[in-house]
Amino acid sequence: MKLTKLFAAGATALASAAVLAACGNNNSSSSANKKTLNWEESAEIPTMDLSKAIDATSFNQLNNVMEGLYRLGKNSKVENGVASKTQVSKDGKTWTFTLRNSKWSDGTPVTAKDFVYSWRRTVDPKTASQYSYLFEGIHNADKITAGKAAVNTLGVKAEGNNKLVVSLDKRIPYFKLLMGFPLFFPQQEKAVEKYGSKYGTASKYMVYNGPFKQTGWTGSNLSWNLKKNNNYWDKNAVKLDTIHYSVQKTPSTAYNLYQSNKIDAVALDAQQTKNLKHQNGFTLRPGSSTFYLQYNQKNKNLQNANLRRAISLSINRKALTNALGGANKPASSLTSTGLTKVEGQDFADKTKDTDYSQYNPAKAKKLFAQALKELGTKSVSFTILSDDTDAGQKTTETLQSQIEETLKGAKVSVQNLPFKTRLSRSTAGNFDIVVTGWGADFADPISFDDLFTSKNAQNNGKWANSEYDKLIAASKAATNDESRFNDLVKAEKILLKDQGITPLYYQTTAWLVRPSVKGIVYNAAGANYNFKGAYVSGN
Amino acid sequence: MTRYLLKRIFYMILTLFIVATVTFFLMKMMPGSPYANEAKMTMTQRHIMDQQYGLNKPVWQQYLIYIFGMLHGDFGTSFQYSNQPVSALIGARLGASVQLGLQALILGVVVGVIIGAIAAMKQGTWADSTATVFSIIGKSVPNFVLAVLLQYYIGLKLGWFPIAGWGQFSQTILPTIALAVGPLAETARFIRTSMVDTLSSDYIELGKAKGLSRMEVIRKHAMRNSLIPLVTLIGPYAVALMTGSMVIENIFNVPGIGEQFVKSILTNDYPTIMGITMVYCFGLVVVLLITDIVYGLIDPRIRLDESEA
Repeated sequence: MKLTKLFAAGATALASAAVLAACGNNNSSSSANKKTLNWEESAEIPTMDLSKAIDATSFNQLNNVMEGLYRLGKNSKVENGVASKTQVSKDGKTWTFTLRNSKWSDGTPVTAKDFVYSWRRTVDPKTASQYSYLFEGIHNADKITAGKAAVNTLGVKAEGNNKLVVSLDKRIPYFKLLMGFPLFFPQQEKAVEKYGSKYGTASKYMVYNGPFKQTGWTGSNLSWNLKKNNNYWDKNAVKLDTIHYSVQKTPSTAYNLYQSNKIDAVALDAQQTKNLKHQNGFTLRPGSSTFYLQYNQKNKNLQNANLRRAISLSINRKALTNALGGANKPASSLTSTGLTKVEGQDFADKTKDTDYSQYNPAKAKKLFAQALKELGTKSVSFTILSDDTDAGQKTTETLQSQIEETLKGAKVSVQNLPFKTRLSRSTAGNFDIVVTGWGADFADPISFDDLFTSKNAQNNGKWANSEYDKLIAASKAATNDESRFNDLVKAEKILLKDQGITPLYYQTTAWLVRPSVKGIVYNAAGANYNFKGAYVSGN
Repeated sequence: MTRYLLKRIFYMILTLFIVATVTFFLMKMMPGSPYANEAKMTMTQRHIMDQQYGLNKPVWQQYLIYIFGMLHGDFGTSFQYSNQPVSALIGARLGASVQLGLQALILGVVVGVIIGAIAAMKQGTWADSTATVFSIIGKSVPNFVLAVLLQYYIGLKLGWFPIAGWGQFSQTILPTIALAVGPLAETARFIRTSMVDTLSSDYIELGKAKGLSRMEVIRKHAMRNSLIPLVTLIGPYAVALMTGSMVIENIFNVPGIGEQFVKSILTNDYPTIMGITMVYCFGLVVVLLITDIVYGLIDPRIRLDESEA
């Protein structure tokens, strides 16, 4: 046999490997350049078509390569983007935006028509946008997405090139925040038509109007760049030349790359969070997500408020977050912390429930005895459903042992299913207690509090309270922020007092960000990162 | 031979068809929808979306549409990657997995054969024991553990090779080594056993008696016969390396197909699940066919076509 040849081939391969390896080693350390930021993403970009984007990665990209009427600054502060002036009618239903002169990356002007085109395209049922519900409240949007009205009846029109008029069916208190969310950014009709089904599937099939332009994304690859956009209206405020992105799926790899200066920021896993807590650059990034328990109101026992309270009081949330590891924080409200501030105070602090949403075993036992008496039974049993992820399993395990330990006579079983299966069970109401996580799309408590009105599709346990419904409706009709937030606080207190849901923890992720990187704007809700003013300072 | 090939190709097509059918119906039994934002969508919205994507049609109709499309080389468009044709998605990802798999296969088998042969020739010496210990370790340490160790010590501490990434050849070295160690250890043990057997057989004694040198006996007779059974191992290795490198791909940021597959299943991305399943399946049947043909070529005792016997 040609064994000698085989040996020869093998030897050649090994030798060339060694040679090439030696070559490959020479070009390294790109982070020496101060105008370049090396950032990590946790997943590939699914799409750059803003009408179809649904995930954090896409929204983060869009937020930096596109610009809407507004751009959200620190603490979700609304700053003018393409809009230079905003007029609102007295009833709050008509918004008139004056647009500044700005350009697309191909040099053509950004006009009001680009907004009209983009919005119509998103609500068009043919586009099949999974986020079109955020248009609810803009005139005719719901009818159009349901295919019951023509697309051109949407309440948005261009008056000339620089004036955009939006008509709403009702006042939307968080309308300005929405205008800073990528779903409401403009799209150039010419580009969408030209690229057809390829639009938004690669860097080159796009046109940009934001601080940066994207290059090198081919559809599903793991690294790409954002380059400064010289056609951007506020280009002098943009300090970085390049943001180099790479997708990091293994935390240990990402941390190795961080240590060797190949990337400037790294998201930490549970173990790393524990080990690197005191490292310079350790940064907590609150998500806009709360995890909570939903109780199925069809379950006779769980209809009993005292049983629900007893369950909640027997949960040691500190121990739970310790078991989960990472940087998650114990929750005692539905609205997540760090989402929004009202009169300088975190909204979550205003609704914080110390009566029933904190660990208190003595009170739990008392209420449990009372609940058993009311139910006329000596023991209750129920199943806690959650995802089959590591976090899901740790959650159910911990809850099971905590509840059974405190409430003698409660028999808890657990079930962990894949996300999609768990979700269809939740939607079908096929559970006793289910662990649910919800993330807000925009920085307003209504994105949480709306969930538990009796008719809401996300209210899987079908908890219902007429006073709660009334307060939420009132908050939507309120004409000033103060009374609106008051209604929302009152409503959330009712929900928590009754333990219609039981808050568990707020999701928070720990990062290491190189201390020389400055000026990054991070917001918990919506598109998280705004790199417009980011820079790398010298040491 | 031609008749044998035609027969085999017919069975291959049949296999692919059956796999496509079974996968399709199994996949449709998975709960949930392919919409990533499902958790936030209302039922009405889902109905509208289902209509847009033809998911409201009866499953058998969807099946016919799918098979018909596939016959025209159309695997549909992905749900996770909006508007990306599945064929493009697989095309962009398959290359890296195949390259990594082949490199690991070549490295593993070549070095494995060398180590195995040396161990057999020096049977009972320290070289043999070292090779055995090495093989056992190589076989029992999971490749992802090795990958993390290689990355930390060789990539980060020594800085000899890039920690992760893809594009330059140097970036493929650490993942190749991590993947190759398993097959390498197995090949080495296999060759050693097989060669020790061969070395003690009568015709080797005859060769020695004829006055052939030791090296000649080994090169012409022992090695050649020990290698035949290896062919059966290489087929499954090839498939396992190309499909089973998901964890290694993730650790070294390799844009491979393995992780896409798992992600498509978790997100109910129907067209991608089908597309990748069919590519894997096709790869497997082709490799098996080649193995059988090669087997027949190198070992005259094995006939591919009974009618020619």
